[in-house]
Order: sequence, then structure tokens, then C-alpha cells
Amino acid sequence: MLILCCPNCGARNVSEFRFGGENSPRPALPMEASEAEWAEYLYLRANTMGPQVEWWYHQAGCGLWFLAERDRALNEVVRTFIWEDGVQEKERERGGERS
Amino acid sequence: MTPDGAMGPSGGDLPGRLKKRAGEVVDRDRSIEFTFDDETYSAHPGDTIASALVAAGIRVFSRSFKYHRPRGLLCCAGNCPNCLVQVGDEPNVRACRRPVEEGMSVAAQNAWPSLRHDLMSLIQYAAPLMPVGFYYKTFMRPKKLWPLYEHVLRQAAGLGTINTHAQELPGADKRYLHADVAVIGGGPAGVGAALAAAREGARVLLFDENTDLGGHGCYRRGGVASSAALRSTIDAVQGGSTTGEIEVLTDTSVFGWYKHNWLGAVQGRRLFKVRAKAVVLATGSFERPPVFGNNDLPGIMLGSGVSRLLHQYSVAPGRRVVVVTVNDEGWELAADLVAAGVEVVAVVDRRPQRSELAEGPMAQSGATLLFSHTIWAASGRGEVEGARFIRVGGSGADGADPSAGGPTLREPTLREPMVREAVACDLIALSTDRSPARELAYMAGAQDDQFGTGPGAGDTLPPGMYAAGRCRGTKGVEEGIGQDILYGEVAGRAAAAFARDGIDHPDNVVAVEVDRIEAEDAPCEYSPEADSTGSGKSFVCLCEDVTDEDLQTAMAEGFDHIQLLKRYSTATMGPCQGRMCAAETARICARTTGRTLREVGRTTARPPAKPVTLDALAGQKMDPVQITPLHDWHVDRGANMMVAGLWLRPEHYGDAVAEVRAVRQRVGLIDVSPLGKLKLTGPGVPDLLERIYANQWRQLGRGRVRYGVMCNDEGVVIDDGVTARVGDTEWYMSTTSSGARSVFEWIEWWLQSGWGDGVHLTDLTQTYAAFNLAGPRARQVLQKLTGRDLGNGRFPYMRVRTVRVAGVPCRVLRIGFTGELSYELHCPAGYAPHLWEALMEAGEEFDLLPFGVEAQRVLRLEKGHIIVGQDTDALSDPISADLGWAVKMAGKDDFLGRRALTRISQNGPRQRLVGFEAEGADDVPEEGLQIVGAHDRIIGWVTSSRYSSTLGRVIGLCWLPVEIASQSGGTFRIHRAGGDVVARVHHGPFYDPQGERLKL
Repeated sequence: MLILCCPNCGARNVSEFRFGGENSPRPALPMEASEAEWAEYLYLRANTMGPQVEWWYHQAGCGLWFLAERDRALNEVVRTFIWEDGVQEKERERGGERS
Repeated sequence: MTPDGAMGPSGGDLPGRLKKRAGEVVDRDRSIEFTFDDETYSAHPGDTIASALVAAGIRVFSRSFKYHRPRGLLCCAGNCPNCLVQVGDEPNVRACRRPVEEGMSVAAQNAWPSLRHDLMSLIQYAAPLMPVGFYYKTFMRPKKLWPLYEHVLRQAAGLGTINTHAQELPGADKRYLHADVAVIGGGPAGVGAALAAAREGARVLLFDENTDLGGHGCYRRGGVASSAALRSTIDAVQGGSTTGEIEVLTDTSVFGWYKHNWLGAVQGRRLFKVRAKAVVLATGSFERPPVFGNNDLPGIMLGSGVSRLLHQYSVAPGRRVVVVTVNDEGWELAADLVAAGVEVVAVVDRRPQRSELAEGPMAQSGATLLFSHTIWAASGRGEVEGARFIRVGGSGADGADPSAGGPTLREPTLREPMVREAVACDLIALSTDRSPARELAYMAGAQDDQFGTGPGAGDTLPPGMYAAGRCRGTKGVEEGIGQDILYGEVAGRAAAAFARDGIDHPDNVVAVEVDRIEAEDAPCEYSPEADSTGSGKSFVCLCEDVTDEDLQTAMAEGFDHIQLLKRYSTATMGPCQGRMCAAETARICARTTGRTLREVGRTTARPPAKPVTLDALAGQKMDPVQITPLHDWHVDRGANMMVAGLWLRPEHYGDAVAEVRAVRQRVGLIDVSPLGKLKLTGPGVPDLLERIYANQWRQLGRGRVRYGVMCNDEGVVIDDGVTARVGDTEWYMSTTSSGARSVFEWIEWWLQSGWGDGVHLTDLTQTYAAFNLAGPRARQVLQKLTGRDLGNGRFPYMRVRTVRVAGVPCRVLRIGFTGELSYELHCPAGYAPHLWEALMEAGEEFDLLPFGVEAQRVLRLEKGHIIVGQDTDALSDPISADLGWAVKMAGKDDFLGRRALTRISQNGPRQRLVGFEAEGADDVPEEGLQIVGAHDRIIGWVTSSRYSSTLGRVIGLCWLPVEIASQSGGTFRIHRAGGDVVARVHHGPFYDPQGERLKL
């Protein structure tokens, strides 16, 4: 089973964590977003066979919600990092590459 | 035909047992008895069921899956399906690996009425009607016969039988293991690796699926002792005189590799979960049977199988043996058989003639020695009686070296295969191509070309994984056990270094020359032994009875991709899981479609690589529940305890109807400790509450309590509860019991992803106990225990106060789930038993009754209060769920669900959660029943229903289309087997619709 590095606690078995899904940033102005943007936020995921930014929650540990960049084809976690302001915007820009 | 069931008191009298030999594992001095199909046989300690039966002359062990053809031992290594038997209540036991125990009762499977005379074998005459994939085309019409088809097919399918009345065993146990280096396989390479790694200071785990270490060294002449290097290495491993430690686990199969060197292993019923920093694969290789006519007859065995019987158990499975070989091991086997007194009729070698073999030990044995020949077909009725051989290679093909393992090329001008006359024999030993056992490496994502190809380093396997021995390349035994041990040591040192430093050390790895296992890029030419026309059924997959012809048919139908071919034909999908047949299936696919093996590829390897019972995986039954501080009190009082979510709670104390009456007329007390309780502090809390609730919070004053509905951005209700403002910057939120954890994690996510400024969240669910004191007398009871004025003017409805009750500091909320005057007391859990008993005592004069979950369900239903998760589901928005009054969007900024709720309130809901009534006391339509409209179409369903003794009728909640739900008093039909129930729509609470009793 995968070993995941919690930014607080270090390397732990993945069974200590709960998967939180692919990062899908919430539009800054929900009432003004287009139908397509809103649907994409709620329901559409890139689901890439490759690198993905996703949420993890250290449920059996420190309770930290953090992001991981994981290559889903290889199931390799490239890095784990704590959310900060602007991360979501950066991801949205990168998300522009999604079809 | 050799006699079945020859009995005898000791080994010497049995037809198959040889005189005592060096290296045998059986104890001749003792004898044990067991039965096979109700006949008694004797064995020695150390025998397996198979070796004992072969010693007694048994040749047929089972009937094949589809055609019920008789099958005998083939591999003797636990890879093939031929020896599967039932031992007592345990089905599908491999006789070749299960040791005999005194009194064991063994039975054949899949044969009726007996193994010798199996009526189901008549099915072979229907074979033309059952080609590959026939079940995709047959048993379709007429449709109403399908229950009959299913019944017949179920009886016919499967192998063993399950005794549904067998005594349940105690739960299997489980161990977690940690190691620096895990060595999988205890043969020469494995023990070499374990020893070398331990000498580097590593903690080593050594796994082997056999009882004794030594691997293929165990089944050569003289056994392990015949190799001094192997003997001394094994002794050192078991002796424990190394720097690091070696824990040896025998009779243990490693069935799965998982991420980061997590291994699953099973030893009998015990499951091991292993984390290793580095893994050394020393899993060896296995022989795979070639495809030729009638290649499934009893008496056809793999050469290594014959070697195992001969050298480990001193058993000869035949008297007149033909050895068919592609390597020198076959010649060794032939010489060993001759030395043991068994007649070898012929040795047939696919390779061209070599003088050292033609003039070697076998020259004087009287056997016919054939070169450049291989077996074309076997013959016999029910078992092997003869074999026919065919010349391979063309007259000009002498340059090709078939020992490299690739198919031989045939000259196009040779139209008629040169098949020789049949040779009489009763055992055919096939010493053939070997496949390396790489399943675990494949699971780790390794490719075949990552084994032993790099110039400086041995392998380019995934980091932390190393390989040694025959699983790297199938060298013949010519290389010697010493070489295996040496390569094992290299891998062991490299693994220990990786475990220590986390990086590969190329200097540690010696360049190893390994032959490639297959000529993967060469086209698969026609080879005459694969032409089975006229020579009888040639089986590719013995487990599933898939013949060469079946594969041709499947490919002709278009299933020519290896993944499709596997699934359509079911080849490789039986108990052997491809060990015996995957390579041949791929070869036949390549040959027929004109591709190379590399282009064909292979199917995906997944755990388990070895069989593991669900029993071992399931382990102990563990259903942990949480108990409240009042648990013992409830049990002593005679409560009927029930599991509600994660908690064990009282359902009732004997009479739920009396409990309901007590609350309505006097006073009751319920333990609601499982309620979610969250403390929020900080100046940012009002903003947060505005964002997560659908109503307004900024203006809520101190000491006030408000009900709130929590939605997600789809507008779906995820939880509800009351939140109280306890102080200027302190708030107290309650959630549903089942939602406690998920709401906490939900809010934490929003706090940690941008909405957390000025907010701190603490989960107090398990810190505080909570009770609900409900009923018209509740105030009188509570007033006895506190000096605080509880009058309606001082402590109105929907307020929170901190009150000292019976000396205990409590947070008291006046809220009303049950619809009566009630106080919910929250106190630190340690005070709970004292407080509860004080309340019970104070309530005695008012005939207070404790009440449970069932009574509470009825009470809340009488008021029409919903339970999130029961009356709502993953599509329910609050407007449709009759909670529109809790949605107050005007004046609110952004909140979760705003967009969806705006649309729904503009368009109106399409269905509604609404109350209903029905007549009849005993006839409560169960929760979950569907509501049907015209033409029996489903238009809704019942979410809650009970008989209300307070009101004298059946009441409930249900979802209905809005046009029906809006008609108060309108009727509808609840569909139920045995007769539909007619119900009436009811709007609003059933009891006290004005809500006066709450505010007393």
C-alpha cells in the first residue's frame, strides 16, 4: 500500500488518510459563473491518466487537509503540499489545458 | 492398466514406492492411514496426499472442469489443476502440496457417481455443441426456461462442494511484519540473498511456500545435501549467526506485491501484511507443459514433477517411462530413473544430436535415444499407453539452436510430418521450457526486458526490487546451484544497501549474463508439434479445458487480441492462473496472427499470484461500536440495544409505546450522547456560518439557538442541526449523530482551503454527553435540581444557558425534536452517570420513563420532523424536502448551494417530501416501499412510517411528485407484495400543528 507523506507528520501508510478527490477549484463568483464553468466545478473532472492534483485528509492523524501531486498512471506521488491562497488559481490556469 | 487402490501396510509393498533413498523427506519408520473416496490407504509422515496415492498406484486424481476427462498428476508443484481434491469440508485442495494426516478423509471432486465412472464425462459427446464461448450464444431462448438453465448450469459448474452446515471456524488471524529486506523464495538464490543481506546488518524476512528450504535443490538426486554450498547456506540462514536477523517463514506463499514493497502473504489461514524497504525476488521458475495431441492423459507429467516424486518421496509414478526433453535436465532425470530401477523406454530430445549425450550414461540403458524429435501425440484409453514422436527442424536447419527456447523453423517443402511409430509406455515425463515466476514483479510494473539486461547493473527493475536465480532467466541446471547462490548474494547485498540508504548502489551489482527467455522479436513460425490435426485434442489450458482448436476458433471469430482471447476462451483464468498455459496461449496467438511475441504482449498480472482463501483475507470479525457513558445503566435497565451508525444505543426499554405516552403526558429522558457537537470560536465564525448554512447567522444574539440546514454546492442537504451562540466569539453547533464526523471534516476542509480566517473548530462529540429531558413535566423535574429560574420568561424556547444541574455545569438548550417542552443538557462525559441518575431520581414523582431511539423516532414523526439521511438522500434539496422555511437567501452573500437553491426556488420543486396517513394499526407500510401511479410506474417512495398510538393511525413521510404532494388529503398507492396500501397526503405536523406545547 502506498506510503503518503503528510506535510505535518511525514511518511505514513495511505490507510491513515481519506482521499478527497481531484482538486476542482470553486469559481470565485458562483452566481456569475457560466453554466459550463459551474458544471465543470461540480461534476467534470480531468481524470488524467497522468499527473493530478488531489486532496487528502489525514484522518487517523493530525487532521490536516493537504494537496498531493500524483501521477495516476504510475501511482507515484511527486509532492505533497499545504493549500495556500492562489494555489487554486494556479491550478485553474493549468486546468485550461484540459479538453 | 495398473490396479487402483492397492493397499498395503508399509511402503515396500506398494507398487509405486521405491526403496529408501538419500534425501527423501518421508519417515519410513512410521505409518499413517487416510481414506480417498472411502478406500483406505497408508502413507508415511512427510508424504503428501499425491505422493501417497501415487505410491499406491493411483493414476487418476480428478475430472476436468468442462469435459470431465480423467486427469492425473502433472506438475506436483501446486501449479496445475489436476490434483484438486476435497479434504473433509475443505474443497479444492492441491493433493500434491497437502501433507497427509492420520485419519484424513479425502474425496475426488467434480465426478459423479465416482471418479472412475463419471457420468458427466458423457458430456464429451456433446462437445461439438459446446465450442469456445458457447455460453455467449446458447441458453438464451426461450427466456422463461432461464431459471432451469441456471439451476442446471450451477450444478454443473464449479469443482469442490461447500458444506453449508460445516462448523464455523474461529476467525483467521493476521500479523503485520516489517523488514529491511524481504526475500521471496527460499531456493539457492533466496537463501544466498537472505544470508548476504543479514551479513550487511539488515533485518531479513525469508518466505518460502514449501516446508523445507532449498527450492529446486530439494528435488535433485540426493536432495539438498548433495550440494555442500546449498547445505551450508541453509544452515547458516537457520542458525542465526549473522549480524542482522533472519526470520524464516515456510509454508508461506507471497501472493501479492503492492505499492512501496507492501506484500501480502498467507500461511494456512494466517495472513501476513508485510512492509519491506527492499524486496529480493528469488521465486524461481516453473516448467510449462507443451501442447500436443491428448496431452491431458493421466500419466503425462512434467519432468520436475517426476523428479519431485522420485527424489523427495521415493515414488515412481510409472514403470515404462518416455522422457521428452529440450534440456540436459531431462537426461539427468532419465539417468536418475534408471538408477532407481525404473525402465526408461526412450529419451526424445528436440535438440540436434550431441555426442556426450548419445554416448553418455543413457547409452547403456537400453532406451531408444532420439534427437531432433519431439512428442506429437499420446494415446491411451483413460490413461497413457503410448506416445508418438515427430521429427522437427528441416534438413537444412542445423544452424538453429533450439535450446535457446524459440520455436524451430520448418522447411516449407516438408509437407508430410515424419511421425514415427507409437512407443508403448505408461508415463511420459516432459522436461520442457520453463517460465520464470515473475508475477510479483509484473505487479510492480516491471517489464520482462528489465531483468538482467543492463551492462553494469543486473536489472532495471523498479527501485527497491531485486531479482536473483531462475526468475531472472531460465538457465539450465548446468550453471549449477553454486551460481544461483552467488547471484542471490549479489542481490541480497544490493537490497540491504538500498534498505539502508534508499538508493541503488550500482557498484554492488555484478554484471550478470543471462540468456533471454524467449526470442520475443522473432516471428512465431509454424512448428509441427503444434499441429494437432488428427492427433487428438491438444489442450492449451487444462484448468478450463481449452484446446488449441478452441483458440483458433476464438481468433477466427475476431478475438485475436491477447486480452480478448483470454477472456473469450477463458484460457489462463482457472486455478493455474496462467502458469501452465499463458506462454503457450501467447505463442499460439502470435503464430496464428502472424505477430511476434512482443507484439502480442501478455495479460495483466494481478494479485493473488497464489490462491488465498476469503477466510484468511477476512480475518477476525470486528464490528467495533462506540458506547455512551450510560451504557451500563441502559443494559442494567433491560434496554434492547441496537447499533445506530457507529454507536450502540437503547432502542427501547421494553415498551416503546409506553415511552411515547410518557413523553406526551408526563416526562421522559433519552441519552442522546452520540449527537455531533462542534465548538467554534473566533471572530470569523459568523461569516463561516453564513457560508455553510442556508439561512442567516450574523445577527444571532448571545444565548440564542437557531436551526440550520447545511447544503453543498449542488444544493443538496448534507446535514442539519441547531447552532447556539454561547458567547461573543463562541458558538456551539450540533449535528446529526451519523453526520458528526463527516460534518467536522467538511468544515475543516473549508477552513483549511481559504475560509479559516478567525475560526477555530474543536470536535466535542465524544467529550460531552447529552440528554434530552422531554415532556410537559420537564421543567418541574429540572427545577428540582437547580437554583436557576427556569421559568418561560427567563429561559424561553430556542435559548441556551449555562446551568448548574445537580452540581454539574451543563450547557442547556431549549429545543424540541420531540414536540414537547424539552431541555437538552450537555455536560462533560465524566459527570454523565451522576447527572442521569439525579434526573431519574428527580423524575420519579412524575413517573418519568427513560425512552430510546424507537420512541424518539415516533415522537419526531408525529411532529413531521425529518431525519437527514433517512428522509433525504443524495439528491434532496431543502426546498423540496419541506425545509424551505430554513432557507433564507435574501440579504445573504455567497453560501454553499445558493446557485442551485436560487434556481429551484424560481422554478419550484418537482417532487416534495410530504406527510401521509393511512388506516389500520397493524399494517404499517415499511420504510423504503415504492409509491406507484398510473400503469404501476414508480412515482415516489416511503421514507419514514410508524403507527402512532398518540393519534391512533399510521403516519409517515414520503416523496411524491409535486402535483400529488400539494393536494392535502389526496390519495395515492403504496406498492407492497400482498396488497397495495392506500394513503392520504397530510400537510404539516400530525400532532400539535401550532407548536404550542414546545413553548410552554
